[in-house]
Amino acid sequence: MKKDSNVIELVNIGTVYEGERLPVIYDVNLTVKLGEFISIIGPNGAGKTTLLETINGLLSYDKGQGFVFGREIKKHKSEIRREIGYVIQNFEMDPLAPFLCKDIVMSGRTGKIGTFRFAKKSDWDKVWYSMGLVGMIDFAKRPIGKLSGGEFQKILLSRALAQNPKLLLLDEPFSNLDYASRKQVETLLNRIHEKYNITILLVSHDLSFVPSRCKRVIVLDHGKIVMDGGREKILKSDIINSIFNGKGEKT
Amino acid sequence: MIDFPSTLLITSILGALFAGFACSTTGAFVVRMNLASIGYLMSHAAFAGAAFGLMISIDPVLGAIIFSFGIALILGPLAEKARLESNIVIGFLFSFMIALAFIFLNFIPGNAASARALRILWGSIFSVSTNDLVMLSIFSFIIVIFVVIFYKELIAIMFNRKLAESSGINTRLYYFAILFLTGIAVSLSIRIVGGLLVFALIINPTSTAYQFFYDFKKIFIFSPIIGIISCLVGFWLSLISDFPIGASIVLISAIFFTIAIIFSPKRKRGKLKIHQKAS
Repeated sequence: MKKDSNVIELVNIGTVYEGERLPVIYDVNLTVKLGEFISIIGPNGAGKTTLLETINGLLSYDKGQGFVFGREIKKHKSEIRREIGYVIQNFEMDPLAPFLCKDIVMSGRTGKIGTFRFAKKSDWDKVWYSMGLVGMIDFAKRPIGKLSGGEFQKILLSRALAQNPKLLLLDEPFSNLDYASRKQVETLLNRIHEKYNITILLVSHDLSFVPSRCKRVIVLDHGKIVMDGGREKILKSDIINSIFNGKGEKT
Repeated sequence: MIDFPSTLLITSILGALFAGFACSTTGAFVVRMNLASIGYLMSHAAFAGAAFGLMISIDPVLGAIIFSFGIALILGPLAEKARLESNIVIGFLFSFMIALAFIFLNFIPGNAASARALRILWGSIFSVSTNDLVMLSIFSFIIVIFVVIFYKELIAIMFNRKLAESSGINTRLYYFAILFLTGIAVSLSIRIVGGLLVFALIINPTSTAYQFFYDFKKIFIFSPIIGIISCLVGFWLSLISDFPIGASIVLISAIFFTIAIIFSPKRKRGKLKIHQKAS
């Protein structure tokens, strides 16, 4: 079975963590077309990260079938991942960590360059370009641990972009950011989507930050997709209010 | 200070040099990947293996390599599973290895062999053979090649393993390779530095280099340099003071680390910024 027309095609997917009996996500059916910008929202623990990591094969699904770029996820993990830029949920960085921003951005190209091959000038050009795109070119030789939350997030985004991805998976890109930084990252995502028409899946627990170019919203709750549709319709629905209690956070 | 035949002196100096290089280069991975307790276990497994080698009258280095390989094989998959409390497994294996080592030491035949066993415990640079030197130099060469060829993968993994995996790198393979390399570095250096202290030579030079640099490339360059200097100065200290060689090397590397903590520019930067802002 091969499905070429969609970027992502998940059929009745269920993912169970090792040592657990109940699946974190189940009965997930999702079709994503080329160039779509989708926000996946849901309270903490809804299974949003699990869904993203099932798509890029970091987590193995136990039920159903999953295809990315028409290839089955389980069989083609490595090839699929080279085409997917993943921005991980904000994590604590040791302020003394011995890594320069440019090396972190370059690390995004590692899979693409391939084993036993060295980075060429064209790879570095891609690094400079993607750092320029997020406005972080002046930070190239700065230590990664010395960045603010917003700057760090931009470097992670630039790292994903340096990969030249066809699909971007963003896990809570606005968490731990102040309002100004959130606006900056949002503008950046809109610009990237407009310019390159990359398919983007953005995961967030915050209702107030759905980027303007994002036309489709998926609501995930207790491991299941409970709503999937147009942005306006979903954000104004009553179910959203009951899930988030109208405050943007689950109580 | 005692006079030594020049060949013995050269062999010893080269032994110290290569042991310093091998241990502190693998140390760059161990420190960054928070494998300290795993490496600590590895050094004691190598010690138990060396004692086992002496007991059954084979080369103790071979015994050490077999044991640390075995530990890497058991521990790799266990540490892989984040849900398993690996510290508990390490604690269990660590005490188990020490117990085995003492049992093996007890059964080493003859007085001369007991002295050899003690040398493995404390380290003795004069027990380094040409064969050991050859193995250490080959290993040093392998580790240089490993770092050069897989530099980009290693940087990606050491920054964040999940992100590295998400870009298409098989991180498990590199993780196991690092465990094995650490095991071999420990096994080959155990005769010089001693089973109880060899791990300090892995941790201290890298931790010292960490205090000065933000660029991992520089850590890879300066960690072995500090390791080599620690070993050579430690060797000299051992000669003039009659301290055991392992203890001297660890003492010197600990002094370097303490000095580095005191003078680390990384720890002073905050003050400088406030000063600049004020002015």
